[in-house]
Amino acid sequence: MIEYILNIAIISVYPFLFIGIINKIKAFWGGREGASVFQPLYDFIKLLKKGEVISSTTSFIFNITPSLNLAAVLFAGLFVPLINQKAIISFEGDFILFAYILALSRFFSIISAMDTGSSFEGMGASREVSFSTLVEPAFFITIASIAALSGVNSFQNLSLILQNTGETGYLIIILSIVVIFMMILVEGCRVPVDDPNTHLELTMVHEVMILDNSGPDLALINYANSLKMILFSSLIANLMIPAGATLLNASICFTGIVLFLAILIGTIESGTARYRMTRLFEFIFLMSSVSLLILALTMIAIYESPVGVIK
Amino acid sequence: MSLISTSINIPGVIGNVNLVIDQLSAFFVVIISIISFIGVLYSIGYIKPYLNKNNNVFSHYVFLGILIVSMLLVTVVQNALAFLIVWEIMSLSSFFLVIFENEKKDTLGAGINYLITMHISVMFLIAGFVILSLKSGSLDFASFKNVLGNDSALANLVFILLFIGFGIKAGFVPFHSWLPRAHPAAPSHISGLMSGLMIKTGIYGILRTLSFIPVPSLEISYFVLVISIITALFGALYAIAQNDLKKLLAYSSIENIGIIGMGIAIGMLGLAYNNNIVAILGFSGGILHILNHAIFKPLLFFAAGAVYSKTHTKNIRKLGGLIKSMPSTAALFLIGTIAIIGLPPLNGFISEFLIYIALLNGLSIQNSSLLIIFVITIACLALVGAMALLCFTKAFSIVFLGHPRSEKASEVNHDISRIMLIPMAILALLILIIGLFPQYVIQLAIMPVNLFVNSANIMIADSYTQLLSIISLGGFSFILLFAFIYILRTLMLQNKSVYKHNTWGCAYKAINNRMQYAASSFVDLFLSFLAPFFITKSEIETPEGLFPKKARFALYIDDIFEFYIINPVLSLNKRIIESFYWIQGGNTQQYLLYGLIFLIITLVFTIGAR
Repeated sequence: MIEYILNIAIISVYPFLFIGIINKIKAFWGGREGASVFQPLYDFIKLLKKGEVISSTTSFIFNITPSLNLAAVLFAGLFVPLINQKAIISFEGDFILFAYILALSRFFSIISAMDTGSSFEGMGASREVSFSTLVEPAFFITIASIAALSGVNSFQNLSLILQNTGETGYLIIILSIVVIFMMILVEGCRVPVDDPNTHLELTMVHEVMILDNSGPDLALINYANSLKMILFSSLIANLMIPAGATLLNASICFTGIVLFLAILIGTIESGTARYRMTRLFEFIFLMSSVSLLILALTMIAIYESPVGVIK
Repeated sequence: MSLISTSINIPGVIGNVNLVIDQLSAFFVVIISIISFIGVLYSIGYIKPYLNKNNNVFSHYVFLGILIVSMLLVTVVQNALAFLIVWEIMSLSSFFLVIFENEKKDTLGAGINYLITMHISVMFLIAGFVILSLKSGSLDFASFKNVLGNDSALANLVFILLFIGFGIKAGFVPFHSWLPRAHPAAPSHISGLMSGLMIKTGIYGILRTLSFIPVPSLEISYFVLVISIITALFGALYAIAQNDLKKLLAYSSIENIGIIGMGIAIGMLGLAYNNNIVAILGFSGGILHILNHAIFKPLLFFAAGAVYSKTHTKNIRKLGGLIKSMPSTAALFLIGTIAIIGLPPLNGFISEFLIYIALLNGLSIQNSSLLIIFVITIACLALVGAMALLCFTKAFSIVFLGHPRSEKASEVNHDISRIMLIPMAILALLILIIGLFPQYVIQLAIMPVNLFVNSANIMIADSYTQLLSIISLGGFSFILLFAFIYILRTLMLQNKSVYKHNTWGCAYKAINNRMQYAASSFVDLFLSFLAPFFITKSEIETPEGLFPKKARFALYIDDIFEFYIINPVLSLNKRIIESFYWIQGGNTQQYLLYGLIFLIITLVFTIGAR
């Protein structure tokens, strides 16, 4: 029971802190004091209190999308194990529903951007849909390989790989973390895929899609987006935390890993420039190649390893 | 097995014809009856503008009736020769339906292309059935089972022949090229019925052929899987590139046939590796997708027809902003769109989910090549889904959202009549029912699986029915969660200033409708990356001089399979036939000479025979 309460607490608090820490780190590397780590939360509350300006071109789609987006991401959060490898709901094939419900939220954010009739938002929508299309196979290859290895067709107990496979297991975990981390950068729209702080609409991906959103709707979109990053981070955390850890240890490790990821993202953003739009495909294909490597290692682990065949 | 059967005796070659409704037939009979009824209902409204014109509406409806009856007969007749006859009646009647607007040159061309392709298909079917009936000494389907039981080489040969024959009808790559021609040419209710039902008779044929084979061999199972994956990827990719709404839907039908084929192939592999769970889940996923596609594809075609009847254009580059003038059509199209992409909580997700679960269960079969192929299949299915998302966000947003891109689109002032909306609404309702209550609908899809998997094993499926009730619960909780957040957000906005303003143009004031993102530009980034898979021809007239007058840009995309495989074969065929042209020279004396030669040969033979 206490796990569920902790999970709900994580879903509601961590997303704001995550962005806050990234910004703090960026300020640190930039030699600035930076805003408080709670600033995203203050912004969220401020936006909720405001009114809205709605484009006269738009229809009901623009109206419902921010709420639907958040509902979809929260719903996806039900299947992701957070603390202590426990998801709120877990069943066979839950990661398929996870990926598809996120696709639903992407579908609506794209048509909502197109709903405004703005050429800039169309551009953002076109980019978002092109890049995310190619991310999908990499994610599925990774997850299917892990499922084949651990013998569990759900997000729950990801770290069973460690118990079931020998040294190859560690390698597979490391590579899976690489894939999922790259997914955080793509899905969370961070450098080098997308720059959340850019000032020119022509170079944006995610930010330009929400140009016309304001007030509470913008707050919901921002929250949903950072929650998505937390969900992917927790996948990474659960690959690393061993299954037998006590609740306290698992919580500390979880928080530590998420904190580390935030620091890493902030450092990457300070240290690298974003890629040229046409080169992003290469970045995404790097993900696919790593995922194919995971598949190859899975084959080795199942058919060659001294530990023998699972099941 | 419980089945309804009767037989009629046709004197002559055909002999005794068994009409049997078994589990597989029953499934198809149900779909064909319901969807045809809805299609005919829709056609009442759609055909109205043609009533006063010269088109022959009367004969159109006669052929429509013949098509529906022949589709039903195809699924019921259990005699090879009678089957080929009703199959042919089905192809011919649909040919006449396609060329309804035969005063247009394109329509007639598409119709003739369709007719010829269908006869190539029949050729393969005849070959397959002749082998079967020669071996068994009977035309009855029931006797075929005994023939193929112990001869796997023969089973493979017959299966490949019949798969090609039925695959042409279903639209498997590389036999798909008739689909993107015939569907846009036909009136919308016909495209809907053809895409939703008629191409599924090809799938029925494949499933029926499978029921002759006790255990499918690995070769044919992998063959079907590979063909299906290529079909799905190809259909999705080309659907993205289309700018004709109905052509886009036709390519998307090819994609969905690929997904159905994947399900069937996974089922076959399950049988081949003797894993019943994989077999049941694969087959039921594929079969459920037949039902799903038979619902959302007609809905999308009907909506496309509604747009066409108001704007008189199928070119999506000329549309836009229709959600304001045709809100009901837009909402129904949106439901169809979400369903066809396979997004939860609608029906497309359920069948794809079952196929995924089948694949995941297949990963535990101890076979290294199967593991790799199944993981790749999972990735391909995910990619196909993502490409469908790209394709349909384009279709929906360019047609219905933003500002109108031409006068034709801006002149639309009211939605279509209720008689056209109601059939579409029924289809949308079916989509919602299947999506939200999959645990009951799955019983319908598992029923035909009895033909392939020992019925005792169907019990295994019960645990998956429970899995589907979790999905169903998930669907409802998602909708509730969304409603809760939406209401909260609306309440929050209640006492605050919410006002409307122009779209933010980044401080640019003189924005006009032509500055929106267009159909080609929306997909350009993605397609430019995949350019090697397309053959494009573009025509550019650049604006020149100080006062440029006219500029033009046109982009045509050719089908790569048609260009590299089908067209070379056709031109080779033409060259061979051309060398016999001299036989029919048009010279009367020459023809008289043929007569004389014929008489002499006959004379020589009769004398010789004595």
